[in-house]
Amino acid sequence: MPAHDVLIIGAGLAGQRAALAAAQSGASVAIMSKVHPVRSHSVAAAGGINAAISVDDDWHSHAYDTVKGSDFLGDQDAIEVMCSEAPAEVMHLEHIGVTFHRNDKGEMDLRAFGGASMKRTAYVADITGQAMLHVLYEQLMRHHETVERYEEWFTTSLLTDDDGRCAGVIARDVRTGRMEAFQAKNVILACGGAGQAYKPTTNGLIVTGDGIAMAYRAGAPLMDMEMVQYHPTCLVETGILITEGARGEGAHLLNAAGERFMEKSAPNKMELASRDVVSRAEQIEINEGRGVGPDGSGIYLDVTVVPRKRTLEALREIVNLGRDFAGVDITREPITIRPGQHYIMGGVKTDVDGRTPIEGLYAAGEVACVSVHGGNRLGANSLLDTLIFGRRSGEHAAARAAGIGMPRVDAAAQLKQDIARIDSIIARPHDGRRVSEIKNELGELMNRHAAVFRDEAGLQTAREAIGRLKEEAEHAWIDDHGTVFNQDVLGAIELGYMIDCAETTVIGAIERKESRGAQFRTDYPERNDEEWLKHIDVTLGADGPQVSYSPVTITQWQPEERKY
Amino acid sequence: MKVAYWPGCVSRGFTPELHGSMAKVAPLLDIELVELDRACCTGAGVIAEHNQELADTLNARTFALAQQVEGAAMMMNICSTCQGAQSECQERLDANAEYRAHVNTTLAAEGLSYEKGLTNKNFLWLLVEEIGLEKLRSLVRRPLTNLRVGPFYGCYIVRPRERLGIDQEHPRDQYLDQVIDALGGTVIEYAGMRKCCGFPIITMNKDASLKQAGRHLGDAVDADADCLVTPCPLCHLNLDLQQPLAERLVGRELDMPVLHLPQLVGLALGLEPKELGMNRHVVRPTSVIDWSTSVVGAAG
Amino acid sequence: MAETHLPPEKFTVRLRRYDPESGDAPYWDEHTIELAPHRSVLEAVLQARDRFDGSIGIRCSCRQAICGSCGVRVNGEPALACHTHLDAAKRSARDGVIEIEPMGNMPVLKDLIVDMDDVHWKKIRRVTPWLLAKQPVPEREYLVPAESMVDVTQTMACIQCGACVSDCLAMEVDPLFIGPAALAKAYRFVGDPRDDQQFERLNDLAQDPHGMFDCTHCFKCVDACPKDVNPMGQIMRLRRIATSDHHIVDQNNGERHEAAFTSLIRDNGLLWEAELLPRSYGGNSWFGKFHPAAGKELLSSLPAIVKALVRRKVTPAGALKPHRIPKADLRSVQAIFEKVESRDRRYELNLYIAGEDEEPPPPEVPVAAGIVAPIADEPAAPQAASTPTPDEGGPGDGGTPTSPEGSASQ
Repeated sequence: MPAHDVLIIGAGLAGQRAALAAAQSGASVAIMSKVHPVRSHSVAAAGGINAAISVDDDWHSHAYDTVKGSDFLGDQDAIEVMCSEAPAEVMHLEHIGVTFHRNDKGEMDLRAFGGASMKRTAYVADITGQAMLHVLYEQLMRHHETVERYEEWFTTSLLTDDDGRCAGVIARDVRTGRMEAFQAKNVILACGGAGQAYKPTTNGLIVTGDGIAMAYRAGAPLMDMEMVQYHPTCLVETGILITEGARGEGAHLLNAAGERFMEKSAPNKMELASRDVVSRAEQIEINEGRGVGPDGSGIYLDVTVVPRKRTLEALREIVNLGRDFAGVDITREPITIRPGQHYIMGGVKTDVDGRTPIEGLYAAGEVACVSVHGGNRLGANSLLDTLIFGRRSGEHAAARAAGIGMPRVDAAAQLKQDIARIDSIIARPHDGRRVSEIKNELGELMNRHAAVFRDEAGLQTAREAIGRLKEEAEHAWIDDHGTVFNQDVLGAIELGYMIDCAETTVIGAIERKESRGAQFRTDYPERNDEEWLKHIDVTLGADGPQVSYSPVTITQWQPEERKY
Repeated sequence: MKVAYWPGCVSRGFTPELHGSMAKVAPLLDIELVELDRACCTGAGVIAEHNQELADTLNARTFALAQQVEGAAMMMNICSTCQGAQSECQERLDANAEYRAHVNTTLAAEGLSYEKGLTNKNFLWLLVEEIGLEKLRSLVRRPLTNLRVGPFYGCYIVRPRERLGIDQEHPRDQYLDQVIDALGGTVIEYAGMRKCCGFPIITMNKDASLKQAGRHLGDAVDADADCLVTPCPLCHLNLDLQQPLAERLVGRELDMPVLHLPQLVGLALGLEPKELGMNRHVVRPTSVIDWSTSVVGAAG
Repeated sequence: MAETHLPPEKFTVRLRRYDPESGDAPYWDEHTIELAPHRSVLEAVLQARDRFDGSIGIRCSCRQAICGSCGVRVNGEPALACHTHLDAAKRSARDGVIEIEPMGNMPVLKDLIVDMDDVHWKKIRRVTPWLLAKQPVPEREYLVPAESMVDVTQTMACIQCGACVSDCLAMEVDPLFIGPAALAKAYRFVGDPRDDQQFERLNDLAQDPHGMFDCTHCFKCVDACPKDVNPMGQIMRLRRIATSDHHIVDQNNGERHEAAFTSLIRDNGLLWEAELLPRSYGGNSWFGKFHPAAGKELLSSLPAIVKALVRRKVTPAGALKPHRIPKADLRSVQAIFEKVESRDRRYELNLYIAGEDEEPPPPEVPVAAGIVAPIADEPAAPQAASTPTPDEGGPGDGGTPTSPEGSASQ
């Protein structure tokens, strides 16, 4: 059985950064991913990464913007860690090869982004995530002797020992179908969010909440799951993301009357208010009949006000996206967009070193909730989050590994159980529903009831429906009976992961009887610090999901009314 | 129509039958050729590889000379590689006024200047787009009935599509098929028809180069083609001149005649194989000559 | 607006299926799906998978041409499935049925899934694909020219989808060829002024018998690439820097061929084919000395040469005498050579950086009604004019004067 000091599940930015950090600390490291690392969804992050690297900037300002953006639900100690370590982390990336855009002096250029009080976003055109992910993968190739790679291995469950400590994973080699147990002193979950529980979503098809659900099933608490970010600018039909960088470069949002409606809700920051504010404003325009497009379900994003040459250089990717996925030349005409599911602020509860309450289990990146994003994440803070907490998890796990022996665990039993589970999925009779049907219904359900605006009735409807879908998923059938690249059976397992994520999201949303950040309850339209300035944790107990609360850490910024 | 005519180097060197047959065919199509005999080689991509500005300047000089030809409707070439190399330079020259001005400063020594927007077409494009397939059809004196012709385009005239203006309205990557058809021949499709002949790496990796030529020729043999036709003399070198070596490399007899485009057109317009220099190929176009005799015999 | 909710139409897709466990040969499988015509081939495959057959194998994730998973062949041409519209695919289909196959040049694992590790990634690893940064590492960022970062971002934008590898015509006959994706990756470091190993990298790629001089100029990769990486263009730049800046002489006659070709044009204005061969093989001329290694190569070419002479394709007199352009013109051509080649630094217009000149916008631009206020003073135009060429001032933005040293500083 392969054994490693640190085993990382997921090879996006958080996972790769964790692997490199752990290896540098001298631990034996392996990184496992269900897809090739460069396919990880970090690749789609477009706009940039925030860091107070300008001489005129100060990380405290970055931290305050982040706290305010979070609608004061973010933990300020964690935010301080992230923002104060940001400049060094970004410089490190530059040193290992990220091709950050430069200014005339040859220094890194910075662009404006939503919710930020100054230009603080470093970028590589609008492929920042891709450039960073590929550069980290270059480093993984460079350090192939110290970081073992399990590419295209799908994790089916976490191994825990008798004391409840995490001791490894069970995984399936996607290419051959072979199931294997992996022993590890530490497991770092870095396998992203759960966007596929929504339809449409900006997230890739691989973003199915695997890590969140596996941790939840292993007993870890999930925090802030109700906080689901809708990005203000997604293509109407496909949900494909148009980077916030567009507005950062000066693009306008217009309603059917041609009005820059952001004047009403964010007279100062206008289009560059935080994402929850902008998405809500858009949804109001649409709901009140001022939307554009054939059924009035969209808003115009007008990039034509940005100098064309600048657009062609700094927003190359969305020029292509507009052309290829919407048939629009964004340099010549406005493009129709609307809010779409993009990111989950919640996730597996961790401390600033990525530790979950389960010993030996860490989480970093979108899978985790530290919480640095609270009720709403600022654009260009997610890449930062992945790197800072990926690195810290890697370092901490490596240090922990140095002091302990390989945990003893009866992997055989769990392995057998997971093999049996997969066999049973393959053997299901074709008398229920297809996996794909259930997935579609789940996505549409969440997008209807757990979106920008929510209320008790809708959320209860969603909860009931999820209960039914959970039942149906137990019997959902598939076509593929093979072993080589049986993506069908993996899809069935992923469906289970997504349902867990959806369920905890709805539970949190029902619980939180106020409006804060991304959670807007039409039946509780005000923020209520007195009762709800706290995190909602959901843990899987013997009788199902259990709700509890934990305090928000406040260091230097007291809650205040949020205005942009 | 009158065109500023760029014959290229190889048509006046190792494939003189190309230049010769073009001269014979032009009057039959009512094309007046004003040869750009002062212009230099396009660089075939190699000079651009060495120094981009040099290639751009040398070709800008050719373009400027073409623009001086009074009454010429456009520039015409008879070489896929020339077309590709020139289009690449022209793309840069046309895209950026400042760069064009910079290049023109060098040309000024000779009193020349290139103005954006030259039209430069390979004979193949000119045939289809200017003369037109209908007209061509009407000019045919000896339809290529039952002659099985495999088109071989050459990379430089089919890729990159955007630079070469290939789109729905201008399916230039289909023109050779269309011309063969218009001339009454049977188009033979085979795997290698738009692949590389291997010529550009003949001195760098001879085996790989000739393996390419050999494979495509073999594909054409397997598809039962009587001959190939190409708008590129460099492809002709690898497919015809080097065919004996390619045969050795792929370990099979090929014996596949390769015609230049003007030769095929000339044949259909009634010219004799010998007038078109078909006796000067390394691989004797026996099948084609036999076919033409049989047609003449039948007609007589 | 071009954008719309077009009604769905029926499309038929023909998928190349292969089940390695069945022992059966690959076969075709047809499905009819319903989608709006501007939706993608990937969505068609996924609809077929969701509705009719969950066992269809294809790698995919982002659906927006950034993760690089869904490289396939559509109607015989390499493409990203998510980046190919159904209406366009139908137009290019032979019989109206959209044919989707796995990529070429790589072993098929199942259905549309190929083994990229065995070919693509192996080649990527071959080119030392990480920055070997200049030392000492600065405290803050390396200070580098803005355009140099835009330049290498073109190759950084490669999403490793393998479309260019799939149909590389040189790789088709020489599987050991390093290939377009890996060579583009190599340029990403060669062109990066922060990298310390430009010469070593280029020398390595030049001395490999299947290295950068093996590219056959077929432009397949240029058309295959969904991200405008222009792999072949990058290969040409590798060659240019290797030969012109570092004077690297490779084993494959690449440098000699380039030098021979260029000098023949300089001397005659036109190509003298008969002289190209011996000069490329390392001799000065038929009449001069051969490079020892050249003899064998030349000998092996003799059958073709003899046959050409016999067929009077080439006459000895014709072959042995260069054709030249008129004297006055030759002098002008040589003056161009002299002027351009004597510049301190080569001047290159990179359209990826410079873009095309702004054309006046089409007459009826459907600008949304209302406020279209110009944005004040930002964003600043980032591209400063590049360093002028010494003699007369080069043109402005987009030019990348290249020098062997690069220009990183701390």
